[in-house]
This record gives sequence, structure tokens and C-alpha cells, in this order.
Amino acid sequence: LTKPVELPQGTLEMLILKAISLGPLHGYGILLRIQQISGERLDILQGSFYTAIYRLERRGWIKGEWGESENNRRARFYSLTAAGTRQLKAETAKWTDMAAVVAGILDKKAEEI
Amino acid sequence: MSLLAAICKLWRSIAPRTPSDVEEEFRSTLHSYQEDLIRQGLPEEEARRRARIDLGRPAAQNENYRDAIGLCFFDELGGDIRYGLRALRRNPGFAAVAVLSLALGIGATTAMFSLIYAVLLHPFPYAGADRIVNAVLIDRQHPDEWSWFTVSKAQLDDLRLAAPVDSALGFNPSHMEITGGGLPEDISGVYLTENAGTFFGVRPLLGRNIEPSDAENGGHSVIVLNYRFWQRHFGGDPHIIGQTLEIDHAPYTIVGVMPRSFAFNDAAGVGDVYLPGSLMRGVSNVPSLEYLPWLKLRPHVTLAAANAALEPSVRQFFAKEHPERDRWRLALEPINWLFQEETGHTLTLLLAGVVLLLIIGCANCSILLLARGRTRQHELAIRSAIGASRWRIVRQLLVEAIVISSIGAVLGVAASYWLAKLPLLLSPDSFPAESVIRINAPVLAFSVALALLCGILFGLVPALRLSRYDSARMLPGRGVAAAPARHRWSVLIAAQVALTLLLMATAGTAIHGFLRLMQMPLGYDPANVMKLGIGLHIHDSGEWSRIQSREARTAYIEQLREKVASVPGVSTVAVAVDATPPDPGAKSSFTIDGTGDREQPQARVMLVSQRYFAALRIPLRQGRVWNTDENARGDFVAVVNHAFATRYLSLSHALGRQLRIPALTGQGRYAATSAQSTAWRQIIGVVSDARNDGVDRPVVPAIYVPYTTAMANCVQFFVRTQGDPLASLHSIRAAIASVASDQQISSGSFNGTFTLNEAIERDEQYSRQRLFSTLFGVFSAMALALALVGIFSVVAYSVAQRTTEFGVRLALGAPRAHVLWVAARIALVSAAAGIVIGLTLDSFLGAVLAHWMQNAFAAGSLFAAASLLALSAFLACLLPARHAIAVPPAEALRYE
Repeated sequence: LTKPVELPQGTLEMLILKAISLGPLHGYGILLRIQQISGERLDILQGSFYTAIYRLERRGWIKGEWGESENNRRARFYSLTAAGTRQLKAETAKWTDMAAVVAGILDKKAEEI
Repeated sequence: MSLLAAICKLWRSIAPRTPSDVEEEFRSTLHSYQEDLIRQGLPEEEARRRARIDLGRPAAQNENYRDAIGLCFFDELGGDIRYGLRALRRNPGFAAVAVLSLALGIGATTAMFSLIYAVLLHPFPYAGADRIVNAVLIDRQHPDEWSWFTVSKAQLDDLRLAAPVDSALGFNPSHMEITGGGLPEDISGVYLTENAGTFFGVRPLLGRNIEPSDAENGGHSVIVLNYRFWQRHFGGDPHIIGQTLEIDHAPYTIVGVMPRSFAFNDAAGVGDVYLPGSLMRGVSNVPSLEYLPWLKLRPHVTLAAANAALEPSVRQFFAKEHPERDRWRLALEPINWLFQEETGHTLTLLLAGVVLLLIIGCANCSILLLARGRTRQHELAIRSAIGASRWRIVRQLLVEAIVISSIGAVLGVAASYWLAKLPLLLSPDSFPAESVIRINAPVLAFSVALALLCGILFGLVPALRLSRYDSARMLPGRGVAAAPARHRWSVLIAAQVALTLLLMATAGTAIHGFLRLMQMPLGYDPANVMKLGIGLHIHDSGEWSRIQSREARTAYIEQLREKVASVPGVSTVAVAVDATPPDPGAKSSFTIDGTGDREQPQARVMLVSQRYFAALRIPLRQGRVWNTDENARGDFVAVVNHAFATRYLSLSHALGRQLRIPALTGQGRYAATSAQSTAWRQIIGVVSDARNDGVDRPVVPAIYVPYTTAMANCVQFFVRTQGDPLASLHSIRAAIASVASDQQISSGSFNGTFTLNEAIERDEQYSRQRLFSTLFGVFSAMALALALVGIFSVVAYSVAQRTTEFGVRLALGAPRAHVLWVAARIALVSAAAGIVIGLTLDSFLGAVLAHWMQNAFAAGSLFAAASLLALSAFLACLLPARHAIAVPPAEALRYE
């Protein structure tokens, strides 16, 4: 079994944006998709999942509409807005940059310095 | 409806989703998750539980939502407000005192602000009122002497066309009589140029205002009614438009009723009805066809520029007819300048008084909160221990303070409605008739701002103070708190006492001044003297022709006078023309024999009958008063007052000197003068000084001459009676009716006074002093009460807190007097410090106040105020301190 990973602060919102960017999803769907993509290694049930959703909607990066879920239940489907798409792009770039720099530093061996 | 929609829209922009919407979404997720868990093999009950543990309760989700979108601040604020209200309900005594302290201050301040708003900031209902100016002439040599002037219609048009002038209104007040009904009724009418409607820009209550088309064909016979006249005469009949009113035997159609706020105009007398000016030519009894001008300047024109631009044309008007006006210069004055000067001072002073009161009230609330705060330390310590930040506690305490001040403001605004009327009742002539005192938007905004400010002002110090304790120190020892908050109390109490002393000293001074004014010898005896206005019948040309000649008129007046004098209870009746003390006669220049014509000394000239001195009990000092024959002739005699004799003559040689008064020529179409009215007159007597320049100013030189020398269409009778003069009014009316059934009598002045005592009460100085002494008396009584409550509650709270300590002291054998002293010490010392500070403050402010109130601080009243304050502060300390020694030591110790 692979070890679960804890999310750094602020990254949950980015993950939600990414999950929705693949197609409109309702709240539970987003949860499932993140777990599915991460290979079940992220446990985001606890804590602030919906807080993140509300905040994203408040900022206008995602928008929600009521619709019908796969098992015929009323559910709220979220999709990315134009501002959300831009935000995801910017965040992704930022994250990749940062990860590269940090990984670069950590990979350095004593003789390379 | 649109307001509601706007609020809804605003709310949706703050919180776009409804609580049920949020909850439904959450439930749907919860459900899906639960179903997944069941699919994974969990039993249903267990799946339900797991889902809730992992995702949370649906009920909590809304809080989560509001938190996420930043609404929790409002939620917490609402919680604080509810908590504050609950805390107040739990402590009704504290709540009542705190709320009342503020309600007094906020009410008084709001009342004063609404007065200032109504009188100084927005006194007139006219469009562009701040650009409307009066035109007066000011004497170059004596700048405090000014007079109105009239212009013809053509001259008014000249003024209208001048560059700085936007528009010009001409008005001509005239006495009229309503005829056609039973008894004729005197009213005052004002002829207006037909641009009145647009000039005033005031929407009539009913119908229309006077319009330019009313000038056609020599003027349409239409009238517009004043609101008060409409109420008085027609009972506010809403269907009055189109009806006919007969005035001076001619019918007029009522076309409009003005709103209540329109009372054109204070300076020249408020009109009952308004008529088109073009009608004046067709009416026989208008004394003058000329208009008094009001000019509305163009925006951004300064008074100086307008004066300079208009002066040449005005000079040109007067070049031929009034060459003597050469000495005068034109001065345009804003229409409320009369009120701005005197009343502005009064109101500023009163505002300072109420602001002091408000500060004292705030200090009181601070003291109460601090004192009560010590009993709340435990609660606050717990809050802070379970994680409340200091800001959170400060906020809660501030919100509680603002809750108190808001309740205080609501009560205060309600009270201010009545409070604002008090100055108007006490000093009616100091305020423009058109300024309606009401609670309007600016006033409300003012009081809301005031409430918030007060809450922050008095809440901040206690909040900062109380939020500072760290929980570790406070939690374990509940009752034995150290008392570091005392220092704040003592500063606040000292400040409160000092300000109270300031108010009390001011009140003492005002009351002292007023008492002095009331006891000041007037030089005449106003008691039991009544003034009756006798307006001669000018409206009926037949009647008028009978009394038009001077002799016939004198005979008619004397006949009336004798009839009134014969009424039982009446002792003396004198005749006079505009010689009502304390402000009688008119200033006039005169010449004394042996001096050149070039000097132009001035004196008040009074047209009276020989009995005037007896009726008013003005003693004769030298010589004699003229007799009946001399009175009928009118010429050659004069009596002067003592001030005249000492100023212009040598006292021993006053009698027999000659003087002449060129102004006694008679003006207007009803004037009738004796043959030699402006010729030399011999001074046959000197009378004592009687106040003749207002009650509070020194007597000025005066000349008395027989009233028959220059008569107009009205005289006044001064009736001295043995008892209350108003009791004889009915029989006097009957006596007059027995001579001439249609002879009207009136109060003889537009402010409606009948007795001479009322005339004194109407005097500007008198009413101002009365206003000051009453209001400052009330303010200082309130301030004293507040300060005492502050001292009392501080001592009471601290005694309650320190019961154990006192018990220990008593048990260890401390004398009772010592314990009493310990209990009351802090408050006593700070009150004493406050009195010392207050006395110092008073001596600094004394000079300033002396200038504003025209009364210096009297050492006596200052001393009296300080002693009263000291005594009551002492009692306020002692009463609650007694409880410290009243508790038996054993019982006190049991508290531990």
C-alpha cells in the first residue's frame, strides 16, 4: 500500500480547479476524481473541502448549477469560468516552478555545491 | 418597493446562496458518500456515522459557508449585540443609569443641533436662500445705524438688470381689513411683484403662487394665503381654492395656500395674505406705491462686488428726491443676518453647554463600565483562556458600549423633539418665524454619528483596560482582585467634576445676571399697565374724511380716551404713538438754541400725551408737564429726560432752553401735523430717566413732545388699572364701542403684547438672559446629577468589591471612621481635584464667557456652585461608603 500524502496549505483549491477543468463535476464527484487521479493517496475528506469550494465560487473561478447526477439525484455541478482557467494556468506554472527549484536544491549532492 | 429590491440585491451580492441551497448540496454529497460506503460493505448505520464523521454535520455547513465567504464578522457582531442586550437586561439598574446619562446628552445635543440647523444653516424655505439679500442703507459715520429703503417698480427693474443680480423681488406690506362678514378683521397683506412664484421657488401647499400673468389688465384680483392665516381664518379648509374673500370691500379670488414653512417675512412683518403688486394702483388706501427690494444674486457673486456694482444706480435713485441720503452707503445683507449675529452667539454658547453635558454623560458611562468591568473580569478571563483574542474582547466590549449609546440615542432623539422647542418658547423673537424645528435627515444622521462616537468614546477606555488582564493571573483568585482600574476612575471623576463645575458656574452667572436684570430699576412702573392699539378707520373713506383733519382726529382720540378712563378700575389713560417701553420712540436729530445747525445731536423723540408720565409713573424732577390745551395745540413745548439734561444742557439751567426737531414733518398719506411742529420748542420740564434702549442698556437722551404734533393713522393707549389690566379689557372694549361701534382695538404691535410686563419679557436682552439662565440651569442640574451618579456608583462598586477587606480591617480593630475614609478616599480626593481643576478652568474661561454672555463670572455664584458641588460629592461618597462599616466583620469574612 502506498503512503497517504498530506496536502500543503492552499493546494487543495488548485487540485479542485484541476479536477473541474476536466469536465463539470458535482461536489462528491470532485472528491472522487481527486482521489482517483492521486491514486487514492490523498485524503481530503477531513477538513475544508467545501470551504475551498465556497471560496472558489465566491472568487468567481468556478460556478455552480443545479443538475441531475448519474444516480438521478439533484446535485450541484461546478464548471470552470474563464477566470478560473487563467487561475489554474497561473497556479500550475507557479507550482511547477517552485517544485522544480525545491527539488533541484534537494537533489544537490555535497560535491556539486 | 425599490428600496426593498435594492436591499435584496445588496444582500444577494454579499451572500449569493441561501442556507437551504447550501444545505441541500451538502446533503446530496453526504448521501452519495454514504451509498459508496454501503457498497464497500459497511452496514447502513455505520456508513451513516462514518459519512458524518468524515464530512461533518449538514447543520454546521452554513456556518462553514458564511465563514468561507467572509460573513462571520457580521455573525459575530450580531452575537455581540445580542449578548450586550442580554447583559443590559441582567443589570437593569446599570442599564438605566448608563442609557439615561447618554440620552440626556444626546437628546440635548441633537436638539441644539436641530435648532442650529433650522436657524443658522437652513432657516428659509426659498430657493437659493443663501443668495437672497436685503438692501439697506448704512450711515457712513455711524455704521450701526441702518434703514430700509423703497424703490419704484421701474427702479426695481433697473436693479434686476444689474450684472450681479439674478432676480429681484419687490414687496409692500400693508394693513387691510376683511369685510363682508360680521365684524371687520384686521389682517396684514403683502403686495408682491408678480415674479414672486419663481423668485421664492416654494411649492404652494394648495393651488398656485402669484404668477406673472396676474399683472395683466392692472392686476387680477387674486390672493394667496399664508398657512397660519388659512388655519386661523378658514380652519385649514382644503377646498378653499376658488373661493372669494372680501378685503376692504373688494372681492378677491383665493388661488393658493402657502406651506407652513413659508412665512414671508420676519423683518417687515409676516403677511396673512399675498397679492399681486399691480393691484396697488387701483386700491385707495395703500400708503406708498413703492416696493422694498429683495435681490437674489447670481451664484458666486460676493456681497462686496454686488455692493459696488449696485451703489451707483441706488445713488442715482436718491439723487433728486432724497439728497440727504448722501451720507449713506448701500449695504446688501444676507436675509438671515439679523438672526445670525445675536442668535448665532446664543446658540454657539448653548451648543458648548450641551457638548459639555454630553462629555460628562460619556465620562459617566465610562466610569460605570469600568466599575462594572471589575465584576466581569472573571468572565473575560475565561473567554481569553478559551482562545478569544484581545481584539475580539475589545470588540465585544465596544459593541456593548455602542448598544448602550444607541438606545440612549433613540431616547435622546425622541426627547430632542421637545427639547428643541424650549429655546423657542423662552425666547420667541430670537428665531426666524420660518425656521421649523423638526427631526430631519441631517439631524438624524447627526445623532446616529453622535451615538457611535459616544459609544466608542466611552467604551474604548474600559475595553482596552479590561481586555488587558492575562487569564493566568485572573482565573484562580476570584474575589481578591487587585484594583489597578482605580486610577482611570479618579481621572474620569475629576474630569467630570471639573466640567460640571464649569457648567454650574456658567449657570450661576447666567442666573445671577438675570436676577440683576429683573431687579434693575426700570425708571417706570410696568405693573398693571396695558397697551391698546387704536387703528383709526382709514378703510372707509366716509369715516376717514370725518377724522382726517388734525383737530377732528385729536378730538376723536380724546373722546375715546375719556370714555376708557371712565371705566371702573381704570386709573389713568395716556395716549402715545410708538412709545412703548422698554424700547420707545425713534431716534431723531435735533438742534438746541445757541448751538450751530452743523452739529446734529440725537435723542429718542417720543410722541405722548401729558398723562404718559402719570400712567407709567415716571417722576417729574424739574418744571412741569404740558397741560391739556398745550397738548391739543402740540407746538412750542417739550419735556426732556434727565439723561438729556445732563448730556446736552446744564442741569440747573435746563428749563426754558429751546430745541427743535426737524424730523417732525409727518410722512405718508395719513400724516397730519400741527402748524409749527418743526419750530422751536421750550423745555418746560425734566423727568427722571426711564429705560428706553432695552432693559439692559443705559438710558439714552429723550425728548417728549405732545403726540398731536405729528399724527399718523394709529395711536396707542396706555391704560393703568387698579388690578390686572387684562381683567378690564372687556369693559374697555365696550366703552370704545359706545363711542364708535366699528372702532377696532388691537395689541398695537405685531408681536401681540398687551401688558407692559409682557413687553419687557419680549425684550431681546431680557429673553436672552432668561434663555441662558433657564437652559444653563437645566444643563448644570443634569450635569450635577450625572456627576453624582458617577461618584456614587464608583464608591458603591468598590465597597461591594472590598467587603472582605473591610471586614478584615474591622476585625483587626480599625476605627470605623478610618474604614469609612478608606472606602470613600479615592472618590473624595478625585472630586476635590476636579473642583480645583474646575475653578482654575473657570478663571481661564471667565474672560471668554464674559464676552459671549455679556456677563462676567461672579465670584459669589462660582463659590456657591463649588460649595454645592463639594457638598453633594461628599454625600455621594459617604452614602455608599456607609455600607463598608455596616457589615459585621464575621459576615464579611464568610464571603471568602
